[in-house]
Amino acid sequence: MVKSSQEWVSAAVDGEVDAQTLTQLASDVDSHQEWQRYHMIGDTMRGELPAAIDLDITASIAAAIELEPTIMAPKNSPAIEVQGVESKTPKTSNVVSLFKQFGQYAIAASVALVAIVGVQSYDQSQDVESPLPVFNTRPLVGTMSPVSLQTGPVTNQQGYTNEQVLEQRKRINAYIQDHMLQQRLNPGVQVEQANQAEINQ
Amino acid sequence: MRLFLLALLIISPFSHSEELSAKDWLVNMSQALSETQFKASVVQIQADHVRPLVFLQGTVDEKRIAYLEYLNGPPKNAVKVNNTVTFLEHDQPPYSVNANLIQGVWPVSLYGDISKLEQGYQFVLGGRSRIAGRAGQLIRFIAKDEYRYDAQIWLDLETYLPLRYDTLNRDKQLLEQTMVIELIEFTDSPSILVEASKHDWPEVIKQADRKDAQDWQFTWLPQGFSMVVSDNHRLIGIHEPVEYIALTDGLANISVYVARAPEAPMPEELVTRNGLSMVVEKVGNAEVVALGKVPSQTLERIARSLALK
Repeated sequence: MVKSSQEWVSAAVDGEVDAQTLTQLASDVDSHQEWQRYHMIGDTMRGELPAAIDLDITASIAAAIELEPTIMAPKNSPAIEVQGVESKTPKTSNVVSLFKQFGQYAIAASVALVAIVGVQSYDQSQDVESPLPVFNTRPLVGTMSPVSLQTGPVTNQQGYTNEQVLEQRKRINAYIQDHMLQQRLNPGVQVEQANQAEINQ
Repeated sequence: MRLFLLALLIISPFSHSEELSAKDWLVNMSQALSETQFKASVVQIQADHVRPLVFLQGTVDEKRIAYLEYLNGPPKNAVKVNNTVTFLEHDQPPYSVNANLIQGVWPVSLYGDISKLEQGYQFVLGGRSRIAGRAGQLIRFIAKDEYRYDAQIWLDLETYLPLRYDTLNRDKQLLEQTMVIELIEFTDSPSILVEASKHDWPEVIKQADRKDAQDWQFTWLPQGFSMVVSDNHRLIGIHEPVEYIALTDGLANISVYVARAPEAPMPEELVTRNGLSMVVEKVGNAEVVALGKVPSQTLERIARSLALK
Protein backbone atom coordinates (compact mmCIF):
# COMPACT_ATOMS: atom_id res chain seq x y z
CA MET A 1 0.00 0.00 0.00
CA VAL A 2 2.71 2.36 1.00
CA LYS A 3 4.76 1.44 -2.00
CA SER A 4 1.83 1.72 -4.36
CA SER A 5 0.78 5.12 -2.95
CA GLN A 6 4.33 6.27 -3.51
CA GLU A 7 4.06 5.20 -7.11
CA TRP A 8 0.80 7.11 -7.41
CA VAL A 9 2.35 10.22 -6.10
CA SER A 10 5.30 9.80 -8.41
CA ALA A 11 2.95 9.31 -11.34
CA ALA A 12 0.91 12.34 -10.27
CA VAL A 13 4.03 14.50 -10.15
CA ASP A 14 4.89 13.42 -13.67
CA GLY A 15 1.32 14.24 -14.72
CA GLU A 16 0.49 10.65 -15.55
CA VAL A 17 -2.67 10.25 -13.46
CA ASP A 18 -6.24 11.18 -14.12
CA ALA A 19 -8.28 13.69 -12.16
CA GLN A 20 -9.93 11.09 -10.01
CA THR A 21 -6.65 9.74 -8.66
CA LEU A 22 -5.50 13.30 -8.11
CA THR A 23 -8.46 14.19 -5.90
CA GLN A 24 -7.88 10.96 -4.05
CA LEU A 25 -4.30 11.92 -3.49
CA ALA A 26 -5.26 15.41 -2.44
CA SER A 27 -7.40 14.08 0.33
CA ASP A 28 -4.53 11.85 1.51
CA VAL A 29 -2.56 14.10 3.88
CA ASP A 30 0.35 11.67 4.20
CA SER A 31 0.98 11.79 0.49
CA HIS A 32 1.39 15.60 0.57
CA GLN A 33 4.90 15.32 1.91
CA GLU A 34 5.69 12.71 -0.69
CA TRP A 35 4.36 15.09 -3.36
CA GLN A 36 6.58 17.89 -2.14
CA ARG A 37 9.62 15.63 -1.97
CA TYR A 38 9.09 14.30 -5.50
CA HIS A 39 8.80 17.79 -6.87
CA MET A 40 12.00 18.70 -5.07
CA ILE A 41 13.79 15.70 -6.56
CA GLY A 42 12.50 16.60 -9.99
CA ASP A 43 13.66 20.21 -9.59
CA THR A 44 17.08 19.09 -8.42
CA MET A 45 17.52 16.79 -11.38
CA ARG A 46 16.50 19.53 -13.81
CA GLY A 47 18.85 21.93 -12.02
CA GLU A 48 16.04 24.33 -11.14
CA LEU A 49 16.77 24.42 -7.46
CA PRO A 50 16.71 27.93 -5.95
CA ALA A 51 19.78 29.17 -4.07
CA ALA A 52 18.02 28.92 -0.72
CA ILE A 53 15.60 26.14 -0.34
CA ASP A 54 12.62 27.04 1.74
CA LEU A 55 11.01 23.71 2.30
CA ASP A 56 7.99 25.09 4.04
CA ILE A 57 6.81 27.92 1.81
CA THR A 58 3.17 27.30 2.56
CA ALA A 59 3.77 27.86 6.24
CA SER A 60 5.66 31.12 5.76
CA ILE A 61 3.05 32.44 3.36
CA ALA A 62 0.32 31.55 5.83
CA ALA A 63 2.26 33.39 8.55
CA ALA A 64 2.71 36.42 6.32
CA ILE A 65 -0.97 36.54 5.44
CA GLU A 66 -1.83 36.30 9.08
CA LEU A 67 0.51 39.16 9.98
CA GLU A 68 -0.46 41.50 7.16
CA PRO A 69 -3.82 42.91 8.18
CA THR A 70 -2.77 43.34 11.79
CA ILE A 71 0.20 45.49 10.74
CA MET A 72 -1.54 47.57 8.12
CA ALA A 73 -4.81 48.52 9.68
CA PRO A 74 -3.89 50.02 13.07
CA LYS A 75 -0.66 51.75 12.03
CA ASN A 76 -2.17 53.69 9.20
CA SER A 77 -3.86 56.57 11.01
CA PRO A 78 -1.13 57.31 13.62
CA ALA A 79 1.40 57.53 10.79
CA ILE A 80 -0.55 60.32 9.17
CA GLU A 81 -0.76 62.20 12.45
CA VAL A 82 3.00 61.96 12.94
CA GLN A 83 3.58 63.18 9.41
CA GLY A 84 1.30 66.10 10.00
CA VAL A 85 3.29 67.19 13.05
CA GLU A 86 6.64 66.72 11.44
CA SER A 87 5.84 68.32 8.14
CA LYS A 88 5.65 71.75 9.73
CA THR A 89 9.34 72.04 10.45
CA PRO A 90 10.65 71.01 7.06
CA LYS A 91 8.26 73.38 5.40
CA THR A 92 9.58 76.42 7.24
CA SER A 93 13.14 75.43 6.48
CA ASN A 94 12.14 75.10 2.87
CA VAL A 95 11.11 78.70 2.87
CA VAL A 96 14.38 79.81 4.38
CA SER A 97 16.49 77.86 1.94
CA LEU A 98 14.43 79.24 -0.89
CA PHE A 99 15.35 82.73 0.20
CA LYS A 100 18.96 81.73 0.58
CA GLN A 101 18.98 80.31 -2.87
CA PHE A 102 17.46 83.45 -4.17
CA GLY A 103 20.26 85.44 -2.64
CA GLN A 104 22.84 83.16 -4.13
CA TYR A 105 21.31 83.50 -7.55
CA ALA A 106 21.40 87.23 -7.16
CA ILE A 107 25.08 87.12 -6.29
CA ALA A 108 25.83 84.71 -9.10
CA ALA A 109 23.91 86.90 -11.48
CA SER A 110 25.84 89.95 -10.44
CA VAL A 111 29.13 88.14 -10.94
CA ALA A 112 27.97 86.99 -14.34
CA LEU A 113 27.09 90.55 -15.09
CA VAL A 114 30.63 91.66 -14.41
CA ALA A 115 31.92 88.98 -16.72
CA ILE A 116 29.49 89.90 -19.45
CA VAL A 117 30.28 93.56 -19.19
CA GLY A 118 33.94 92.68 -19.47
CA VAL A 119 33.31 90.87 -22.71
CA GLN A 120 31.15 93.63 -24.05
CA SER A 121 33.79 96.19 -23.49
CA TYR A 122 36.23 94.22 -25.61
CA ASP A 123 33.77 94.15 -28.43
CA GLN A 124 33.10 97.81 -28.27
CA SER A 125 36.71 98.73 -28.32
CA GLN A 126 36.92 97.46 -31.85
CA ASP A 127 35.27 100.45 -33.43
CA VAL A 128 37.13 103.18 -35.19
CA GLU A 129 37.16 105.53 -32.28
CA SER A 130 39.21 103.06 -30.33
CA PRO A 131 42.54 104.55 -29.40
CA LEU A 132 44.35 101.23 -29.73
CA PRO A 133 43.81 97.79 -31.13
CA VAL A 134 41.78 95.57 -28.92
CA PHE A 135 43.69 94.55 -25.89
CA ASN A 136 42.78 91.71 -23.73
CA THR A 137 44.93 92.74 -20.85
CA ARG A 138 43.55 90.46 -18.26
CA PRO A 139 45.43 87.24 -18.80
CA LEU A 140 48.98 88.47 -18.88
CA VAL A 141 49.03 90.91 -16.05
CA GLY A 142 46.67 89.03 -13.77
CA THR A 143 43.18 87.61 -13.81
CA MET A 144 40.28 89.29 -12.17
CA SER A 145 38.66 87.15 -9.62
CA PRO A 146 35.02 88.06 -9.20
CA VAL A 147 34.74 91.48 -7.73
CA SER A 148 33.69 91.34 -4.14
CA LEU A 149 31.98 94.50 -3.17
CA GLN A 150 32.75 95.56 0.32
CA THR A 151 31.06 98.89 0.56
CA GLY A 152 29.50 101.35 -1.77
CA PRO A 153 26.31 101.43 -3.71
CA VAL A 154 27.09 98.70 -6.20
CA THR A 155 25.20 96.22 -4.07
CA ASN A 156 21.98 97.81 -5.21
CA GLN A 157 20.90 98.53 -1.65
CA GLN A 158 20.08 102.08 -2.47
CA GLY A 159 17.57 101.25 -5.12
CA TYR A 160 19.57 101.86 -8.25
CA THR A 161 18.05 100.73 -11.46
CA ASN A 162 19.55 97.81 -13.28
CA GLU A 163 20.83 100.12 -15.95
CA GLN A 164 22.70 102.23 -13.47
CA VAL A 165 24.30 99.18 -11.91
CA LEU A 166 25.23 97.93 -15.35
CA GLU A 167 26.72 101.26 -16.24
CA GLN A 168 28.68 101.24 -13.01
CA ARG A 169 30.12 97.82 -13.64
CA LYS A 170 31.05 98.73 -17.16
CA ARG A 171 32.92 101.72 -15.89
CA ILE A 172 34.66 99.80 -13.13
CA ASN A 173 35.73 97.20 -15.66
CA ALA A 174 37.05 99.88 -17.97
CA TYR A 175 39.17 101.32 -15.19
CA ILE A 176 40.53 97.96 -14.09
CA GLN A 177 41.38 96.95 -17.63
CA ASP A 178 43.01 100.24 -18.38
CA HIS A 179 45.05 100.01 -15.20
CA MET A 180 46.47 96.69 -16.38
CA LEU A 181 46.85 97.75 -19.96
CA GLN A 182 48.87 100.80 -19.00
CA GLN A 183 51.35 98.64 -17.17
CA ARG A 184 51.87 96.77 -20.39
CA LEU A 185 52.02 99.74 -22.70
CA ASN A 186 54.11 102.14 -20.75
CA PRO A 187 57.69 101.15 -20.36
CA GLY A 188 57.81 103.97 -17.86
CA VAL A 189 55.62 102.07 -15.43
CA GLN A 190 58.23 99.39 -15.32
CA VAL A 191 61.30 100.00 -13.32
CA GLU A 192 64.21 100.32 -15.71
CA GLN A 193 66.84 97.68 -15.72
CA ALA A 194 69.59 98.54 -13.34
CA ASN A 195 72.95 99.03 -14.94
CA GLN A 196 75.12 96.02 -14.60
CA ALA A 197 77.96 97.86 -12.91
CA GLU A 198 75.75 98.62 -9.98
CA ILE A 199 74.61 95.04 -9.69
CA ASN A 200 78.08 93.65 -9.87
CA GLN A 201 79.29 95.64 -6.94
CA MET B 1 97.12 72.42 -7.06
CA ARG B 2 94.34 71.70 -9.49
CA LEU B 3 92.53 69.64 -6.92
CA PHE B 4 92.87 72.42 -4.42
CA LEU B 5 91.33 74.92 -6.81
CA LEU B 6 88.55 72.51 -7.59
CA ALA B 7 87.86 72.04 -3.91
CA LEU B 8 87.85 75.80 -3.46
CA LEU B 9 85.37 76.14 -6.29
CA ILE B 10 83.04 73.65 -4.71
CA ILE B 11 83.28 75.06 -1.25
CA SER B 12 83.18 78.73 -2.10
CA PRO B 13 79.52 79.00 -3.16
CA PHE B 14 78.42 77.42 0.08
CA SER B 15 80.63 79.43 2.37
CA HIS B 16 79.81 82.49 0.33
CA SER B 17 76.06 82.12 0.51
CA GLU B 18 76.21 81.89 4.28
CA GLU B 19 77.43 85.44 4.51
CA LEU B 20 74.99 86.96 2.05
CA SER B 21 72.65 89.59 3.36
CA ALA B 22 69.05 89.72 2.25
CA LYS B 23 69.89 92.48 -0.16
CA ASP B 24 72.85 90.56 -1.61
CA TRP B 25 70.49 87.74 -2.35
CA LEU B 26 68.11 90.05 -4.17
CA VAL B 27 70.89 91.70 -6.13
CA ASN B 28 72.14 88.28 -7.19
CA MET B 29 68.60 87.41 -8.15
CA SER B 30 68.11 90.42 -10.36
CA GLN B 31 71.37 89.62 -12.08
CA ALA B 32 70.38 85.99 -12.52
CA LEU B 33 67.04 87.02 -13.95
CA SER B 34 68.70 89.04 -16.65
CA GLU B 35 71.57 86.70 -17.46
CA THR B 36 70.63 83.09 -16.80
CA GLN B 37 69.17 80.95 -19.54
CA PHE B 38 66.40 78.88 -18.08
CA LYS B 39 62.99 77.37 -18.43
CA ALA B 40 60.54 77.58 -15.56
CA SER B 41 57.17 75.90 -15.25
CA VAL B 42 55.08 78.05 -12.95
CA VAL B 43 51.66 78.09 -11.33
CA GLN B 44 49.96 81.29 -10.28
CA ILE B 45 47.35 81.15 -7.57
CA GLN B 46 44.85 83.91 -6.87
CA ALA B 47 42.03 83.22 -4.46
CA ASP B 48 40.47 80.10 -6.00
CA HIS B 49 42.11 80.58 -9.35
CA VAL B 50 45.11 78.56 -10.55
CA ARG B 51 46.94 79.31 -13.79
CA PRO B 52 49.80 77.22 -15.10
CA LEU B 53 52.35 78.83 -17.37
CA VAL B 54 55.76 78.21 -18.79
CA PHE B 55 58.50 80.79 -19.12
CA LEU B 56 61.73 80.52 -21.08
CA GLN B 57 64.54 82.95 -21.54
CA GLY B 58 67.83 82.72 -23.29
CA THR B 59 70.27 84.38 -25.66
CA VAL B 60 70.22 83.64 -29.38
CA ASP B 61 72.73 85.44 -31.62
CA GLU B 62 73.32 88.06 -28.96
CA LYS B 63 69.59 88.74 -28.78
CA ARG B 64 67.83 88.35 -25.48
CA ILE B 65 64.78 86.21 -26.13
CA ALA B 66 62.03 85.37 -23.69
CA TYR B 67 58.86 83.40 -24.17
CA LEU B 68 55.80 83.12 -21.97
CA GLU B 69 52.91 80.78 -22.56
CA TYR B 70 49.74 80.22 -20.56
CA LEU B 71 48.94 76.54 -20.63
CA ASN B 72 45.24 76.48 -19.81
CA GLY B 73 42.36 77.95 -21.78
CA PRO B 74 42.63 79.80 -25.06
CA PRO B 75 46.23 80.25 -26.20
CA LYS B 76 47.96 83.34 -24.89
CA ASN B 77 51.64 83.88 -25.46
CA ALA B 78 54.14 86.66 -25.29
CA VAL B 79 57.51 86.82 -26.96
CA LYS B 80 60.29 89.24 -26.16
CA VAL B 81 63.12 89.96 -28.56
CA ASN B 82 65.54 92.45 -27.07
CA ASN B 83 63.33 95.39 -26.11
CA THR B 84 60.18 94.50 -27.98
CA VAL B 85 57.45 92.41 -26.47
CA THR B 86 54.83 90.90 -28.78
CA PHE B 87 51.56 89.62 -27.38
CA LEU B 88 49.91 86.75 -29.24
CA GLU B 89 46.35 86.14 -28.22
CA HIS B 90 43.64 84.09 -29.82
CA ASP B 91 41.06 86.85 -30.16
CA GLN B 92 43.09 89.68 -31.63
CA PRO B 93 45.95 90.27 -34.03
CA PRO B 94 49.39 90.22 -32.45
CA TYR B 95 50.78 93.54 -31.33
CA SER B 96 54.11 94.70 -30.00
CA VAL B 97 55.11 97.17 -27.37
CA ASN B 98 58.39 98.52 -26.20
CA ALA B 99 59.38 96.77 -23.02
CA ASN B 100 62.49 95.18 -21.67
CA LEU B 101 60.70 92.24 -20.10
CA ILE B 102 57.52 90.23 -20.26
CA GLN B 103 55.25 91.07 -17.40
CA GLY B 104 53.10 88.60 -15.64
CA VAL B 105 55.49 86.20 -13.96
CA TRP B 106 57.61 88.05 -11.42
CA PRO B 107 57.18 91.68 -10.35
CA VAL B 108 59.04 93.84 -12.83
CA SER B 109 61.10 95.56 -10.19
CA LEU B 110 62.85 92.30 -9.33
CA TYR B 111 64.63 92.54 -12.68
CA GLY B 112 65.85 96.01 -11.92
CA ASP B 113 67.62 97.99 -9.29
CA ILE B 114 66.78 96.42 -5.96
CA SER B 115 67.82 99.41 -3.90
CA LYS B 116 64.79 101.28 -5.21
CA LEU B 117 62.61 98.94 -3.20
CA GLU B 118 64.39 99.78 0.01
CA GLN B 119 62.46 103.01 0.45
CA GLY B 120 59.23 101.16 1.01
CA TYR B 121 60.29 97.74 2.16
CA GLN B 122 62.71 96.20 4.56
CA PHE B 123 64.47 93.04 3.35
CA VAL B 124 64.62 90.33 5.97
CA LEU B 125 66.39 87.02 5.57
CA GLY B 126 64.16 84.08 6.46
CA GLY B 127 64.58 80.34 6.64
CA ARG B 128 65.19 77.81 3.95
CA SER B 129 62.75 75.39 2.45
CA ARG B 130 62.46 73.07 -0.50
CA ILE B 131 60.55 74.28 -3.54
CA ALA B 132 60.37 72.60 -6.94
CA GLY B 133 62.88 70.06 -5.70
CA ARG B 134 65.43 72.77 -4.96
CA ALA B 135 66.64 74.42 -1.81
CA GLY B 136 65.14 77.88 -1.48
CA GLN B 137 66.13 80.86 0.64
CA LEU B 138 63.29 83.01 1.94
CA ILE B 139 63.57 86.78 1.81
CA ARG B 140 60.73 88.86 3.17
CA PHE B 141 59.74 92.27 1.91
CA ILE B 142 58.36 93.84 5.05
CA ALA B 143 56.38 96.98 4.31
CA LYS B 144 57.80 99.89 6.24
CA ASP B 145 54.34 101.40 6.75
CA GLU B 146 50.72 100.32 6.60
CA TYR B 147 50.22 101.79 3.14
CA ARG B 148 51.30 98.72 1.19
CA TYR B 149 51.21 94.94 1.34
CA ASP B 150 54.01 92.63 2.41
CA ALA B 151 55.62 90.16 0.06
CA GLN B 152 58.01 87.27 0.33
CA ILE B 153 60.23 85.51 -2.13
CA TRP B 154 62.14 82.24 -2.16
CA LEU B 155 65.35 82.14 -4.19
CA ASP B 156 67.12 79.11 -5.53
CA LEU B 157 70.35 78.52 -3.64
CA GLU B 158 72.18 77.50 -6.79
CA THR B 159 71.02 79.95 -9.42
CA TYR B 160 69.47 82.75 -7.32
CA LEU B 161 66.42 82.56 -9.54
CA PRO B 162 63.06 83.11 -7.84
CA LEU B 163 61.21 79.94 -6.92
CA ARG B 164 58.16 81.40 -5.25
CA TYR B 165 56.68 84.83 -4.71
CA ASP B 166 53.80 85.60 -2.36
CA THR B 167 51.85 88.78 -1.77
CA LEU B 168 50.25 89.06 1.65
CA ASN B 169 47.63 91.50 2.85
CA ARG B 170 47.88 93.44 6.09
CA ASP B 171 46.48 90.47 8.00
CA LYS B 172 49.23 88.27 6.53
CA GLN B 173 46.74 86.40 4.41
CA LEU B 174 47.87 85.21 1.03
CA LEU B 175 46.61 87.32 -1.85
CA GLU B 176 48.61 85.91 -4.70
CA GLN B 177 51.22 83.26 -5.15
CA THR B 178 53.54 82.53 -8.04
CA MET B 179 55.38 79.28 -7.64
CA VAL B 180 57.90 77.47 -9.81
CA ILE B 181 57.26 73.75 -10.07
CA GLU B 182 60.17 72.95 -12.36
CA LEU B 183 63.27 74.93 -13.11
CA ILE B 184 65.73 73.90 -15.81
CA GLU B 185 68.87 75.76 -16.76
CA PHE B 186 70.22 75.34 -20.25
CA THR B 187 73.27 76.42 -22.20
CA ASP B 188 71.91 75.91 -25.72
CA SER B 189 68.69 77.75 -26.38
CA PRO B 190 65.74 75.52 -27.16
CA SER B 191 64.34 75.63 -30.69
CA ILE B 192 61.36 77.77 -29.71
CA LEU B 193 63.64 80.64 -28.68
CA VAL B 194 65.72 80.25 -31.84
CA GLU B 195 62.54 80.38 -33.89
CA ALA B 196 61.33 83.42 -32.01
CA SER B 197 64.58 85.21 -32.75
CA LYS B 198 64.17 84.67 -36.49
CA HIS B 199 60.48 85.41 -36.74
CA ASP B 200 59.30 88.81 -38.00
CA TRP B 201 57.17 90.31 -35.26
CA PRO B 202 54.78 93.20 -35.85
CA GLU B 203 56.02 96.75 -35.49
CA VAL B 204 55.69 98.45 -32.16
CA ILE B 205 52.27 100.10 -32.03
CA LYS B 206 52.08 103.85 -32.02
CA GLN B 207 50.04 105.45 -29.35
CA ALA B 208 49.20 108.59 -31.21
CA ASP B 209 46.29 109.65 -29.08
CA ARG B 210 48.37 110.12 -25.99
CA LYS B 211 48.46 113.74 -24.96
CA ASP B 212 50.29 115.40 -22.19
CA ALA B 213 48.50 115.50 -18.91
CA GLN B 214 47.95 118.56 -16.82
CA ASP B 215 50.46 119.41 -14.18
CA TRP B 216 49.28 117.09 -11.49
CA GLN B 217 51.02 116.67 -8.23
CA PHE B 218 50.39 114.90 -4.96
CA THR B 219 50.50 116.66 -1.65
CA TRP B 220 51.11 113.31 -0.03
CA LEU B 221 52.44 109.98 -1.23
CA PRO B 222 53.59 106.97 0.78
CA GLN B 223 57.36 106.76 1.14
CA GLY B 224 58.94 105.24 -1.95
CA PHE B 225 56.08 105.88 -4.34
CA SER B 226 56.83 108.11 -7.28
CA MET B 227 55.12 109.25 -10.44
CA VAL B 228 56.34 107.29 -13.46
CA VAL B 229 53.85 108.23 -16.17
CA SER B 230 51.26 110.90 -16.63
CA ASP B 231 49.25 111.44 -19.77
CA ASN B 232 45.80 111.94 -21.21
CA HIS B 233 44.27 109.05 -23.07
CA ARG B 234 40.94 107.40 -23.69
CA LEU B 235 39.79 104.60 -21.45
CA ILE B 236 39.66 101.25 -23.12
CA GLY B 237 36.12 100.09 -23.74
CA ILE B 238 34.22 103.26 -22.92
CA HIS B 239 36.48 105.69 -24.84
CA GLU B 240 36.22 108.38 -22.29
CA PRO B 241 39.15 110.76 -22.09
CA VAL B 242 40.94 110.54 -18.76
CA GLU B 243 43.92 112.09 -17.12
CA TYR B 244 46.17 109.26 -16.12
CA ILE B 245 48.96 109.08 -13.57
CA ALA B 246 50.96 105.95 -12.76
CA LEU B 247 52.65 105.57 -9.40
CA THR B 248 54.90 102.78 -8.22
CA ASP B 249 57.08 101.86 -5.28
CA GLY B 250 58.64 98.98 -7.18
CA LEU B 251 56.29 96.19 -6.14
CA ALA B 252 52.89 97.88 -6.13
CA ASN B 253 51.54 99.79 -9.12
CA ILE B 254 48.87 102.41 -8.62
CA SER B 255 46.89 104.11 -11.35
CA VAL B 256 45.14 107.40 -10.68
CA TYR B 257 42.52 108.65 -13.13
CA VAL B 258 40.70 111.93 -13.34
CA ALA B 259 37.55 111.90 -15.43
CA ARG B 260 34.20 113.60 -15.70
CA ALA B 261 31.86 112.10 -13.17
CA PRO B 262 29.33 109.81 -14.82
CA GLU B 263 25.59 110.12 -14.34
CA ALA B 264 25.34 106.76 -12.65
CA PRO B 265 26.99 107.04 -9.25
CA MET B 266 30.10 104.98 -8.65
CA PRO B 267 30.89 102.88 -5.59
CA GLU B 268 33.20 104.65 -3.20
CA GLU B 269 35.32 101.62 -2.56
CA LEU B 270 35.78 98.21 -4.04
CA VAL B 271 38.13 95.33 -3.29
CA THR B 272 38.76 92.25 -5.40
CA ARG B 273 39.90 89.02 -3.89
CA ASN B 274 43.36 89.17 -5.40
CA GLY B 275 44.05 92.36 -3.49
CA LEU B 276 43.28 94.93 -6.17
CA SER B 277 41.44 97.84 -4.60
CA MET B 278 39.66 100.74 -6.19
CA VAL B 279 38.59 104.00 -4.62
CA VAL B 280 36.43 106.68 -6.21
CA GLU B 281 36.47 110.26 -4.92
CA LYS B 282 34.00 112.76 -6.28
CA VAL B 283 35.31 116.27 -6.61
CA GLY B 284 32.70 118.61 -8.02
CA ASN B 285 31.66 117.21 -11.37
CA ALA B 286 34.86 115.21 -11.71
CA GLU B 287 35.83 111.88 -10.26
CA VAL B 288 39.23 110.77 -9.09
CA VAL B 289 39.70 107.01 -9.35
CA ALA B 290 42.69 105.32 -7.75
CA LEU B 291 43.36 101.62 -8.09
CA GLY B 292 46.16 99.23 -7.35
CA LYS B 293 47.21 96.34 -5.17
CA VAL B 294 47.51 98.30 -1.95
CA PRO B 295 45.15 98.76 1.00
CA SER B 296 42.16 100.89 0.03
CA GLN B 297 42.99 103.45 2.73
CA THR B 298 46.20 104.20 0.85
CA LEU B 299 44.26 104.78 -2.35
CA GLU B 300 41.78 106.98 -0.57
CA ARG B 301 44.51 109.16 0.83
CA ILE B 302 46.33 109.33 -2.49
CA ALA B 303 43.14 110.27 -4.32
CA ARG B 304 42.50 113.05 -1.84
CA SER B 305 45.99 114.48 -2.08
CA LEU B 306 45.88 114.95 -5.83
CA ALA B 307 46.17 118.60 -6.80
CA LEU B 308 46.97 120.81 -9.77
CA LYS B 309 50.25 122.61 -9.57
